[in-house]
Amino acid sequence: MKHSELIAEAKHLSGWQRHKFLLLVGLTIVTALFLVTVAMSLYSSSGTAQLDLSRPGYKSVRGQAPERSDFDAFPSDGPIDKDTFDSFRKIYNSRTQKAAKIDGFSGDVLDEKLLLNDGVPQQQ
Amino acid sequence: MFGALAVSKISEAQVQTPPTSLTDDAIKRIKGNCTEAQASLTQLHASDALLRVTLGQLYESIATKLMTPLNSRIVLNKLDGSSLVSAAATYEQQLGDFRDDYQVYEQSLSDLLAIKCQDRPVGYFDGLTKARINREKVHDDVEALRKTSRAYGDNFEMFARKQKDAS
Repeated sequence: MKHSELIAEAKHLSGWQRHKFLLLVGLTIVTALFLVTVAMSLYSSSGTAQLDLSRPGYKSVRGQAPERSDFDAFPSDGPIDKDTFDSFRKIYNSRTQKAAKIDGFSGDVLDEKLLLNDGVPQQQ
Repeated sequence: MFGALAVSKISEAQVQTPPTSLTDDAIKRIKGNCTEAQASLTQLHASDALLRVTLGQLYESIATKLMTPLNSRIVLNKLDGSSLVSAAATYEQQLGDFRDDYQVYEQSLSDLLAIKCQDRPVGYFDGLTKARINREKVHDDVEALRKTSRAYGDNFEMFARKQKDAS
């Protein structure tokens, strides 16, 4: 097809037909932006962001993150007998003792003294 | 939309603290100490995230890998484990509170770290107070989970004794 014929054909196209590729690109970008916004909102609101140790602020502790799972689930079927109790007791006590050893989130570290050195501020 | 809903939920849950009136001397001391405090808080923010991940995994594994399977097993054997089911339900509820309260606490600590303490010493002091109150809530959740896991263990021992006596 000659160049002149292409120009003649293009003259018969509507505005939508002439710019549909640009519109396709534009709509794709808008859709991608919308989906990224939804994903980021979910990432933030679900609390996942706070557990994501790959974020830059958590670089210093990243290597200390625990393994995802270090024991198998207790079998949910089978008989209830002495062996069942002994086996459950052993695993349960070890897990709860491990949890009890961790002193989690005591308030002392955020004491006012952190800022004021010598006690509570005087109220005006 | 989801973000806006979550933010409003968190805002509702956050502890409202009235603005503090500080003496000039206290403000001066805050300005003098806050750079050092900011560095400590940044470190605390990171170590708390690690603690949250560690404790969260531990608590969750106790619920999903131990309590739930044992309760199912008891039901499948047509035995009465209602006290264990009740303790496990309480534990799940407290685990949810722990997750939510940590989210609120982390948000308040992040807000605190975003404040320029040299420019806004009073706001910084109030932010610290709010973060401390929110942290105490997380601490209470940890204590509640510890208590309930102990109660589940006690109920388990009672159940085991009852089965032993019955057989």
